[in-house]
Amino acid sequence: MFQNRAEAIALVLPAAVFAGAVFLVPVMILLSEGFRTADGWSIQAYIDFFSHSLNQAVFFRTLKLAAMVTAASAVIGYAAAFAIVNLPAKGKGRVTGLVVLPLMISPVARTYAWLVILGRTGFVNKALVAVGLSDEPIRFLFTETAVFIGLLQLFLPLMIISLISALENMPRDAVPAARVLGANWLQVFTRVILPLTREGLVIGGTLVFTGSMTAYITPAILGGSKVLMLETLMYQRVTVANDFVSASVIALILIVMAFSANLLLKRLATARNKK
Amino acid sequence: MKKLLLASCALIASLNAAQADENKLTISVYGFAQDAFKEILYKPFEEKCGCELVVETGNSVERLAKMEANKDHPVVDLAVMTSQDALAARRKDLTDTIDTSKLENFDKLYDIAKDPNGDGHSVGYTFYSTSIAYRSDKVDITSWQDLLSDKLAGHVALPNITTSQGPLVLYMLGKAMGDDDASLKAPIAEVGKHKDDIVTFYVRSSQLVQLMQQEEIWAAPIGRFAWKGFSKMDLPIKWATPKEGQSGGMNVMVLTKGSKHRDLALQFMDFWLSTDIQTKLAEGLVDSPANKDVKVSDDIADNLTYGADTVANLHLIPSDVMIDHRDAWLEQWNEKVGQ
Repeated sequence: MFQNRAEAIALVLPAAVFAGAVFLVPVMILLSEGFRTADGWSIQAYIDFFSHSLNQAVFFRTLKLAAMVTAASAVIGYAAAFAIVNLPAKGKGRVTGLVVLPLMISPVARTYAWLVILGRTGFVNKALVAVGLSDEPIRFLFTETAVFIGLLQLFLPLMIISLISALENMPRDAVPAARVLGANWLQVFTRVILPLTREGLVIGGTLVFTGSMTAYITPAILGGSKVLMLETLMYQRVTVANDFVSASVIALILIVMAFSANLLLKRLATARNKK
Repeated sequence: MKKLLLASCALIASLNAAQADENKLTISVYGFAQDAFKEILYKPFEEKCGCELVVETGNSVERLAKMEANKDHPVVDLAVMTSQDALAARRKDLTDTIDTSKLENFDKLYDIAKDPNGDGHSVGYTFYSTSIAYRSDKVDITSWQDLLSDKLAGHVALPNITTSQGPLVLYMLGKAMGDDDASLKAPIAEVGKHKDDIVTFYVRSSQLVQLMQQEEIWAAPIGRFAWKGFSKMDLPIKWATPKEGQSGGMNVMVLTKGSKHRDLALQFMDFWLSTDIQTKLAEGLVDSPANKDVKVSDDIADNLTYGADTVANLHLIPSDVMIDHRDAWLEQWNEKVGQ
């Protein structure tokens, strides 16, 4: 396409310089903080970080909530996406638009809405008491449940959109063919739909997992300091203790977790396909 | 010729900049009530001095971090912060001694505001008391220990240890338990025992108004500066007067070391401490006065930390105790409460 390499490089250069200067270099400087000591380089900061039981608890809580949100969004996402792709063209566009709509609203506004909905006098509690599922309002706010609900609502659209696009690329007669050949719905899902849509699941899963793990606003508002996650812990370390070393350690942990999640999801999808 | 023209343009530009710079005072303050501050304090001062006021906002810790980062080339001329952060700033050599002989209003200050840290580096401009805002139709609060009582279990929010209110509340809780040791070990352990009964450990008091409105909480310890939001609510909310007394804190003004606008900064400081401005800030329920000549109506006084007796009875934690114990408190807290 290009007449010579120089032309291609010249075109890429501005973007590369920009990304290098404002992203890569600052990230490298931040990450190096975690390894730098007065005497040279060391991984002591990482050993120190994981030796504190609070940090361990926060690490596992972050991992657990991100994994739960990803799994729940995959289950709900498949059902929703499957229903949407089977709608007539006009309806499909409208419903997809509705799925995308929350993404256009600020996460702060969306999360604040949950503060009202999940409150003691909120809609959820009023409904639970009205139908007799609970005698008195339940405390949802500032619990892991609230953070889970907030994160799920925040990132579910990303999973649905990824799965809609994957399902649309699937041959239309694959499911009817499997049904005709006697497969039940579970078999249709595990042996036909899942292998054929694995790319969408990997993309959606990575977006949801990474998003849930690195979200700050939702855990801060709905979890507060009682449900600390890595992001809120990082904020606390920097603003309260001026501790940039811990912040750097947490930043690297988050990056490694995001990449690992992507690799793991790819592996899982490929392994399923090989069967 | 062209070079000469450019050089003269640059010279004129730099002279203009220097002149403009001389008349510019940069202050760093808290972000709250800025509209009121603009009307009552900033605008009148700009008119009086014929200068330009550049206002940066943020919390006390952020301000301290910025001042440290810009130590060699200070941007801010005058900053306000908590008395303990002022001591931390002085220890880091970020502030200068205040020449109080240039402050006409200095003698009008309550004695404890004149030199809160005893180092001549800060002057108090407002106090606040810390007590408990509570729903009087649900509970009655007469002691700090009531915060952890069964009647409030699941309906109370406490400040996080990382906030300025956190240590004050723990200190009063310790006092109520008969242990006022500065290590705060006993009250932190007690809060740890009851942590499941606490709705949240808040980091911003502004969040509490909504929680109170939604009946999520019935009580929370707050600084008097946050009371305005509660007093306006359509709910029976009272300010507690616990038998152990009230705690509190003081906000102070400091002068940045190496600042080039020292005289202007001192003029501004004096203006802020004047009876007229302190009265207006009090009447607007913005800040409680540190100037003892300020007189306000009973209605206003009820919403402020006002009067010599009130000020004298506040159980303040000395700044050095606050700073020297901060890390140990955080560690204790994370161990007993944070998990």
